[in-house]
Order: sequence, then structure tokens, then C-alpha cells
Amino acid sequence: MNDKHDPALLSGAFAGLEAAVNRALMLAPASAKDLAAMSGTMIAIECTAPLIEAFITIESGGTLHLASYSEDNPATRVRGSLNNFIELAAADDPAATLINSDLEILGNSAPLIALQQIVSRMDVDWEAPLVDVLGDVGGHQAAQLLRGAFSWGGQAANSLRRQLSEFILEEGRLSPPAAELEHFYGEVQALGLRVERLQSRLKRLSKRITEATQVQK
Amino acid sequence: MTDHGPSKDSGAETTDFGFQRVKPEEKASLVRGVFDSVAARYDLMNDLMSAGVHRLWKRFTIELSAVRPGQTVLDIAGGTGDLAERFSRLVGPKGQVILADINASMLEVGRDRLIDRGALSNVDVVQCDAQYLPFPDNSIDCITIAFGLRNVTDKALAMRSMLRVLRPGGRLLVLEFSKPTNELLGKAYDAYSFKLLPFMGRVVANDAESYRYLAESIRKHPDQETLLGMMEDSGFVDCQYHNMTGGIVAVHRGIKA
Repeated sequence: MNDKHDPALLSGAFAGLEAAVNRALMLAPASAKDLAAMSGTMIAIECTAPLIEAFITIESGGTLHLASYSEDNPATRVRGSLNNFIELAAADDPAATLINSDLEILGNSAPLIALQQIVSRMDVDWEAPLVDVLGDVGGHQAAQLLRGAFSWGGQAANSLRRQLSEFILEEGRLSPPAAELEHFYGEVQALGLRVERLQSRLKRLSKRITEATQVQK
Repeated sequence: MTDHGPSKDSGAETTDFGFQRVKPEEKASLVRGVFDSVAARYDLMNDLMSAGVHRLWKRFTIELSAVRPGQTVLDIAGGTGDLAERFSRLVGPKGQVILADINASMLEVGRDRLIDRGALSNVDVVQCDAQYLPFPDNSIDCITIAFGLRNVTDKALAMRSMLRVLRPGGRLLVLEFSKPTNELLGKAYDAYSFKLLPFMGRVVANDAESYRYLAESIRKHPDQETLLGMMEDSGFVDCQYHNMTGGIVAVHRGIKA
């Protein structure tokens, strides 16, 4: 599958990604500990657009190893486009995303959900590397500043999302609220069932009329 | 036409040493001279010459090896031990890695590196000739030879020797410079090899001749398809190769039936 790409380029990309993830895991010991409990598990990611296959192996120290080639049988194989994988990585409810998205899963889905949950819970302590570089006081101050900036950014994004949603649903009435939409879908479904029942009754009635006509003849 | 082993030349048997023709018995000592000269700065020069990409070529080779804990791996022409170090971690304490090289200077650098990195517990260091491997038949799970085959006097003899020591189902991986698949890249690569490479050798390792030999030996080495045929002729099955960096390097894989 990876034959369309230069193995050296893929190896480089995976080596860089692996180094970055493992560096982040070093700064998030709780996530590394959770991952260590899954050591030996291999998950194959088959991306259809762009066409790339990656094998993620969880190693004993709670680190990840990324490879473009493996002859081992993965516990889970997930197939989908890059957008599907991004959607899954960002999902609050990975199980629901897996069911509802276009991702195709072969094998056991539990390791994939566990891995996604570990990644989403990952709390990286950025202060440690900053302290190493800037010293105790400077590092702490820089970390506080960054934490404040990230926190403000997160709050601002949440607030913007909420206000945008309110504008679309309430002010502009551009889209119905989710509950209203679900109620509408429910009613459509109920109507569909009633139509099917009516159709069935009409069929029965038509059959009885045909039978009665034949008896009279 | 490139030759891949000793051949009759004006009545006397000769083989290639870069672009020169030499007697087969002289080639090993000439190659030894080259590597004695470059051993101390070999890793630094590899990084400089390939801009660090040799690490990616080796990383993919290790993936292709599919080595598992408990297996025995022979790294021929292992030199400074970078592949052996990674195999040492993969095979674990129950496995074994043999770091082999014909050149004592390279092995010394490799052994020191492995000691420094605490990876010598499951690694044996052996000075030997790839053509006459001093190991029992059917005793090795995986053999790798990275950037070493082109320096071997009789490549077919070396491959038969590797086939002998491999266990049935075991694999040989040959990582070696090859022929660029794009003509333009080939021309740029030629200019780099014959102009820049000896210059870098002179500046960094104070040895332009050894790096000129490197460039010449790469040109004399069989291309992808020829090497694949040689592996099949030696008795390997399910042979295949992967081009890397536009065919500048290729990794060939063969299995012992």
C-alpha cells in the first residue's frame, strides 16, 4: 500500500512524528503509564486519501513506535480518509464517532477507543522543558504565561462557538435546534410507519374484495 | 558493462576496485586500507554525505527485517554498529546479534559505540570475511549487509555463504547504493559523487581518495534488477527490492526456502 511513496520519505515523516509524540508522552507521565498497560498492542491505520498505511505499536515503556511496514497481525485495523481520522481524534465520544463515521474497523475496536481516550486525556506538562531551558523562575513564569494564553484561547473559542450557535439557532433562525430536528425526524419516522400500516391494510382490503368478487361470479 | 565478481582480464583474473582492475586477492586489503582510513570519522561523514538520510534508509531496512525477540541477527559489514545497536533492542535479552566486519578498525569503533550505549550484552563482535562466514549452517534468522556488498570481492560467493548460514525462512537484506530511477537525478547525483564527495572527504576526513573510491565503487555496483537476479541465482526466493530516495539507494530482500 505504501509502495506509491518513497520509503525513506515515509520513514522520515514517521520518525519525526514518533519523536514528537514520545517527547510529549515523556511530559505526560499519567498517559505514558496508561499506554504501558497496553504494551505490545499494534494498531494499523489505513488512510485511503492520501494513500498511506501506518503501524502504531505501543512499547513497554509507554512509548509509541510508528512504522510504514510490518508483518505482524495488528489487533485493530482502521480504514478511512484523513478527515475521518481527524474527526475521530478530536471526538468527545469516540465510540459514537466510530459507529457514525465512515471509518471501517477490522478486529478489536477496544484498543483503538482506549488509545483515543488516552490521547484526549493527555495532560502535557510544558513547564518541565521550559524550566530546563529558562531556569526555575523564568521557566515557571513562561509556563504560567502560556497556560494563561491557552486557557484564554480555549475559553474564547468556546464562547465564540456558543455565540455562533445561538445566532444561527435563535437570532437568525437559520437552522432548527437539535432537539427540534430530532423531534421532526421522529415524527417523519412515525408517519412512515403509519403509511406502511395503511398500505398493508389497503392491500388486505383489496385482496378481500377480489376474493369476494370471484365468489359472486 | 559492470562485472560482479572476479573475471578473466587479458589472461589474468581481475576484479574491480572502484574504476581500477586489481587481482582478486588484492581487493580485500585495498578495501581494508580505505576503511582503516575513514573508520574514525565514518559516522560523521555518513551524516554529512547523506544529510542524515542514511538513518531513514536504515530505519526502513530494520522494519523490513521483521526481527522478533529471541532471534539471531547477523549484521555483516556492520562497521560502526548503528544497525546492530537497534537489532540488539529488538531481539532482547534472549536473542543474539552478531556484528561482523572484515575490518578491525571499523569493528573497534562499533564495539566502543555499543559499550557506550550499553548494548553489548547480547551482541558478539566477529571479524570475518562475508565470503567465508564462520558460522554453522541454518543458524541465523536474519542477515543484513548495509553499504557493504559492493566492497566484497566475489558477491555471488558471499551470497551463497549467507544462504548457507541462514535458517530456512530466514531473510537476507541488502541495503546498498543503486541506480537513480530519474535521469536528471542521476546526473545531479553523478556531479555530487565525483565533485563534492571527494572535496568533503578531503575537508572533513583529510582523505579525498577514499571518498573517490566510494563514488567509483557505487557506479561499479550492480543495479537493482541485476542484484535481484544475482540473489535469485544464489538460491534466494521471493526476492524483491524497494527503491529509496529516487533509487539512489535500494534495499533488496531474499528469503531462504
